[in-house]
Amino acid sequence: MGKIMTRMGDGFPVEMSENQLRGDLAAGTEDAADRGKISPLSKEELQYLFDIFNSPYRFVSTEPGKEVVLSYDAAPIKLMRAAVNVHRIQSLQIHEKLLGADTIELGHIDYSFKPVKPIVGTEQTVLEQTLLVTHAPLFYGAMPNLGLYRQPDGPFPNPSELMQLGKIDEARQSYEMAVEDAVKDIVYVSSAMYDSGADGINMDTTGAAGDADFLAGLKAAEILKQKYPDICIELGMAGEFVLGLHGELTYHGDRLAGMYAHDQVKMAEKAGVTIFGPVVNSKSSRSCPWNLSRAITFIKACCEVANIPIHVNMGMGVGGVPMTAHPPVDITSRASKAMVELCRLDGL
Amino acid sequence: MEKTKWLEKAAQAILDADEAAAQDIAEKSLAAGMDPLEMINEGFAAGIRKMGDLFDRGEVFLPGLVVASDAMMAAVKILEQALPKDKQDQKMGVIVIGTVEGDIHDIGKGIIVTMLSVHGYEVHDLGRDVPIENFVTKAKEVNADVVGSSAMMTTTQLGQKKLEEALKAAGLRNKVITMVGGAVATDHWAKRIGADFYGESPQDTLEKLKERLN
Repeated sequence: MGKIMTRMGDGFPVEMSENQLRGDLAAGTEDAADRGKISPLSKEELQYLFDIFNSPYRFVSTEPGKEVVLSYDAAPIKLMRAAVNVHRIQSLQIHEKLLGADTIELGHIDYSFKPVKPIVGTEQTVLEQTLLVTHAPLFYGAMPNLGLYRQPDGPFPNPSELMQLGKIDEARQSYEMAVEDAVKDIVYVSSAMYDSGADGINMDTTGAAGDADFLAGLKAAEILKQKYPDICIELGMAGEFVLGLHGELTYHGDRLAGMYAHDQVKMAEKAGVTIFGPVVNSKSSRSCPWNLSRAITFIKACCEVANIPIHVNMGMGVGGVPMTAHPPVDITSRASKAMVELCRLDGL
Repeated sequence: MEKTKWLEKAAQAILDADEAAAQDIAEKSLAAGMDPLEMINEGFAAGIRKMGDLFDRGEVFLPGLVVASDAMMAAVKILEQALPKDKQDQKMGVIVIGTVEGDIHDIGKGIIVTMLSVHGYEVHDLGRDVPIENFVTKAKEVNADVVGSSAMMTTTQLGQKKLEEALKAAGLRNKVITMVGGAVATDHWAKRIGADFYGESPQDTLEKLKERLN
């Protein structure tokens, strides 16, 4: 029986027997089903995944006609991170004209709404110049990043430190105050960029600082949607479930802490979000088949209940793709094909 | 009452985060002749380990863990009095931890600090953006068993490698266990820089730490 070449979640190549591959695919979906209290993948779906991993080709793709929209978040930052010395506008041109991006996104190197607020005028200028030389829908993106509202970066007491001292009420108050400030900043920056011609706003990595961070994204989306009924808002997540760092925050009566993608998307819909970007984290110590089977189980459950388009996050350390600075094409293409075809996605 | 029932009740009191119940069970189990060390390790600690597992799954939240930890501490205080003097006030281990210099991300590190404290470790949290020499100085000062570092970004994770080198230069590397964490860390990264292990999640960190300290 031949060995199948695949990778671990940290990108390292590994060989598996057919039985090992089937075992990891089954274990991955079972883990997701157990955690998310959702259905595991069917035997047919697991066989489909097996066939993708068993393909002898380095690169695989969807069949013609099954392609989806390819959007990028933080695109101008990523080329710089790879030490490619191009300006943000040129980077977006490269993404649109060379890398097949269907939407593009302008973002500042700090990539958080708070630091953009005092320089929003210069960001508007760059946005306007970008609009003149690109054609694809242009988002302005940043993170709610509630970490910037706690001391020493922000005005409110550091809830992590308070929690360690057992000061739970004080920590919760700090999170609640941070939500209010973050919402103001997100709405201010987003309004300015939308008024300058952005086709949409992307709140990226929402929930990175826990349930308060997610709440800030939802509240800001709600206000923006009321202010600009035609605005396109994309809400991308930070992790597979909402960390309960406050633990009691609710949105329309539902507790946010502990929500997995299939519940998160319902909150996003209530807030008026246009496109939802769920995330499933890759475990670097488990194999890519295990990670992908697990990720697809979560995302499929999300897509089944969603009434808005789903653009799943696929890349470094998420969506079944390994945690490496340069994700290998063999796994990235397998993960993308499987995710699109099994979950009926709208975009990546 | 059977031994297993005492242990189950102890674990349940922690899962319920019920301090009064935990104290009551501790007192009554001693009166019934239960081994205090067994009650701590296989009863109350089993409860807190389960809480950690539930936190990893998004079923328990950080404030709940803190309250459960208080319940555990209250029970342990009672049980410790029945232990021989040399077993009292024993810490699981002394840990120095921080986010490396240049990196201001401390939310994940804050979670692991809380989890380690909840599980009975003596934790010295240096905060974030911590110069490498501060890890070394603190490790010497508190006679640390473990030095942990967090880095969120590929641009800052080199600090974890510098920490390994600094501990070696200070003659501490063979005396401490080093652990690395953060969004971009992996098992491979830990091996590559010579760290003892990578903690993928709070629960994973606790298990690997326990394994190495025993």
